Amino acid sequence: MDTSHLGLLLIFSAFVSIAFAVLMRDEPREQVLFGAKLFGTFVGSAVLLGWLLYPLPL
Amino acid sequence: MPAPSGRRAASTANPYLVCAAAWAVPGGGHLWLGRYQKGLTLLVVLPLMFAFGLWIQGRIFPFQFSDLLVGLAAIADLGIGVPYVLAKLAGAGAGNVIAITYEYGNTYVIVAGLLNMLAVLDAFDIAVGRK
Repeated sequence: MDTSHLGLLLIFSAFVSIAFAVLMRDEPREQVLFGAKLFGTFVGSAVLLGWLLYPLPL
Repeated sequence: MPAPSGRRAASTANPYLVCAAAWAVPGGGHLWLGRYQKGLTLLVVLPLMFAFGLWIQGRIFPFQFSDLLVGLAAIADLGIGVPYVLAKLAGAGAGNVIAITYEYGNTYVIVAGLLNMLAVLDAFDIAVGRK
C-alpha cells in the first residue's frame, strides 16, 4: 500500500470531503461540486503549507 | 405541504432514538428517516475510514483522563458506534507507535468518530424538522 504522506493525505481528504458533502448538501450534483471543492482545498492548502514550511529548519 | 419558513415537517420518529441509531450504525439515522442516499454513503464511508485507520496501525485510545488528550481521543473514537465495539472485540486498535503511519492511523480513527457524531446531529436536525 501507499504509505507516503501525500497518499495518506489524499485518502484522508477524500473520506472527509465525501462525509461533509453528504451532510451539508442535499442534491447529488451539489454534493459532488461541494465535495470536489473541499477535496481541492484540503489538498491544495496542505501542499501550500508544506512548501511554506519547507525553508524552516526542523 | 411544506412547513413555513423553509422548515420541513418533523418526522414521527423519536429524535433521541434516531440519534441512538445514528450513533450505533453510521448512517443509520438517515436510513431510518428515509434519506437513503446520505445514509448509505455514510454507512460505507465512515466505517471504511475507521477500519483503514486501524489497518495502518492506528490506535483506539483508552479512557485515561490523567492525560486529557488521550481521554478526549477515546471519546472521539467511541463516536463511530458499533464498529468501535467490533474492533475492540476483535482485539484491533492496539496501535504500533513505531509505525510510520501510526499518527495518520490515529487521525483517521478519531476523525471517523467525530464525523459520525456530526452525522448524529444532522439526523437529529432532520428528525425534528430543522432540515
